[in-house]
Amino acid sequence: MFRFLKAAAVAAMVLPATIGLTAGPAQAETIRIALAETPSDELAAFFVALDRAKANGLDYEWTAFSDEELAIQSVLSGQMDIGFGTPYAAMQRSKAPLRIIFQLSKLKFFPVTTKKYSSLEDLNGEPILLHSRGGGTDSIANVIEERVGITFGERSYVPGSSNRVAALLGGRADATIIDLSNKNKLMRSEAGGNFNVLEMFDVEASDEALFGNLNWIQENEEDVSIFVNALVSVWQDMAKDPTIIRRETNPDGPIGQLPAEILAELDGFYSDAVEGGLYDPNGGGRKAAMADMEWYSAAGQLEGSPDELNIEDFWYLAPLDAAMK
Amino acid sequence: MPNRALFLKLLSAAILFGAWEVAGRIPVSFAFPTFLESMRALFAMTLDGTIFTAYAETLKPLAIGVAISAVLGIAIGLWVGLSNTFDWLFSPIFIVMQAAPLAALIPLLVLAYGIGLTSKVLVVCIMAMPVIVLNTSGAVRNTPESFKEMGRSFLASETSIILRIIIPAASPVIFAGLRLGISAGFIGAILSELKITPTGVGDIITYSRSIADYPSMYAAIFSIILLAVLFLNLLEKIEVTLFKGNQRDYVSN
Repeated sequence: MFRFLKAAAVAAMVLPATIGLTAGPAQAETIRIALAETPSDELAAFFVALDRAKANGLDYEWTAFSDEELAIQSVLSGQMDIGFGTPYAAMQRSKAPLRIIFQLSKLKFFPVTTKKYSSLEDLNGEPILLHSRGGGTDSIANVIEERVGITFGERSYVPGSSNRVAALLGGRADATIIDLSNKNKLMRSEAGGNFNVLEMFDVEASDEALFGNLNWIQENEEDVSIFVNALVSVWQDMAKDPTIIRRETNPDGPIGQLPAEILAELDGFYSDAVEGGLYDPNGGGRKAAMADMEWYSAAGQLEGSPDELNIEDFWYLAPLDAAMK
Repeated sequence: MPNRALFLKLLSAAILFGAWEVAGRIPVSFAFPTFLESMRALFAMTLDGTIFTAYAETLKPLAIGVAISAVLGIAIGLWVGLSNTFDWLFSPIFIVMQAAPLAALIPLLVLAYGIGLTSKVLVVCIMAMPVIVLNTSGAVRNTPESFKEMGRSFLASETSIILRIIIPAASPVIFAGLRLGISAGFIGAILSELKITPTGVGDIITYSRSIADYPSMYAAIFSIILLAVLFLNLLEKIEVTLFKGNQRDYVSN
C-alpha cells in the first residue's frame, strides 16, 4: 500500500511537469515539421525548398507521421510547428487557431475505369473504389456527383492510389480515382490499353498544404518568411525547369537516400506534375483559398456557404504576399 | 455489502468520467472533447441508427473470430497441455503469434487473404487465440498431481480424470485466458477496421476524425469499450454457472 501511494505521488508530480513541457509555448529555435507520409518522390521538391531555406539560416527538423490526421493532431497539440495536410474541418469545427500558409499541391486526381465505361455519366449507380471516407478522393466523388448529376453506387475504400491500381489490375474493381503519377504509370504500362481515363473538370483546390498555429506563425514571422520564400522560389524554378529538383536534391538527405530507381524517375515525375498543373508556382494564395472554400464546402468538410466563409479564418496570407513581391 | 460494491463501482466511474470532463474542458487538446459532448454524440448516433449499422458490420469479424478463438483455442490448449508432443508442435506457433507486431504484419495478411472478412477474422484470431491457448495449456499442465492420483486410486478412467478433475481444476485460469483473449479480440477487430479497410466502428472512428468530429470519434471508441466490458461480465456469469466454487469478485463485474 505504501509503495503504491509513493508511486502515485511520483506520478502526480511527474505528470503535470511533462504536460507542462509539451503544452508550453512553442518557443522553438528549430522549427519542427510534421510530414503526413514518409519521404518519397512526391516530397522531393519540398525537401529542395527546405535545403534552400536552411542555406538562408532556417534550422529545421522533420518527423514523418503515418497519416495526415496525426500530423494535424501534433500541430494542434503544439508538439509540431508546421504540418502537412488540409485541415479545413479541424479549423472550422475544433476552433483551433490553425492557418494555411502555402499550397503544396492541388487535388489532381483522375477517374480511371476499365473499358466498360467511357464517360462519367456511365458511372451512374456503379460501384467505385476510393481512398477513405471523408478523404480527398471521396470529396472528388461528391463533387462529380453534384456537377455531372449522377450518383455513384456502392463506395468501397482502399487507401493508397497504388493499391487501387492493383485492385483495377486484379479485376477486383472497375472504377476508381487515382493520382497523377499512378495514372501515368498505369496508362504507360502494357496494361494501359485496358483502361480509360475519364474526362473531368479542372480542380484548383488544395490536396496538400502547409499550415501552422496562428500564434506560432506570428511569433516566428522571420522563420516562416524564409521558409515561404524558399518554397516560392523552388515552385517557380520548377515550373520553368522540372529537372532542378533532381539536380538540387541533397544526396545525403532523406530523398537522396531513396533507391536509385526512384531517383531516376524524379525528372519524369516532376515534368508530368508541372505539365499536369499539380503545383501552383504562386503557392496558391487567395485563388487557392477561394477554390478550397468552394471545394471543401461541396465535399462536406466545411459547413456553410462558400460566400459566407472568410478566407482569413483559414489562411494566413502575409508571408506568401511578401514572398510574391 | 453488495451495496457497498455497487457504490464503489459508481464512484470509480464518476471519478473517471469526471476527470474526462475536466480534461475536455481545460482542454488538454483542441481535439479532445468533453465527456458530455461525447455522450451527446453517442446518443445522436444511437437515435439515427448509425451505431447499429456500424456494429452489424464490426460484429461479423469480431463474433466469428472470438468464437473460433475460444473453441479452437481451448481445444488446442487442452491438447497441448495433455500431450508433450503437441506441446512441442504447437506452443512455438502461439508464442510467435503472441509476440508478433501484428499491425506491421497486416499488409502480409492482406496480400495473402485480400481485404475482405477473412483477413479481419484472422486479425481477431491472431490477437485472441495465443492467450487462450497458452493459458489453457499452462493450467492443464499445472493440475496438482495429487488430484490426479486421487482419481486413479478411485479407479477413474482417463476421460473422467480429464472431465471431472483436470478441467474443473484448470477452469479459473482457462477463464482468465478467455477474458484476456476476448479483450484482445476486441482490440483486433478495431485494429483490422482501422488498418485493412474502414468499415463499421473503425469507419466511424476514421471518418469522424477526418471531418474533425471528435465527439463522435470518442463516442465510437467509448461504445466499443462498453461492449467489451459488458461481454466480459457475461463471460463471468457463464463461468460462475458452469463451475460453481470459482466465485471470486472481478473488477469488471
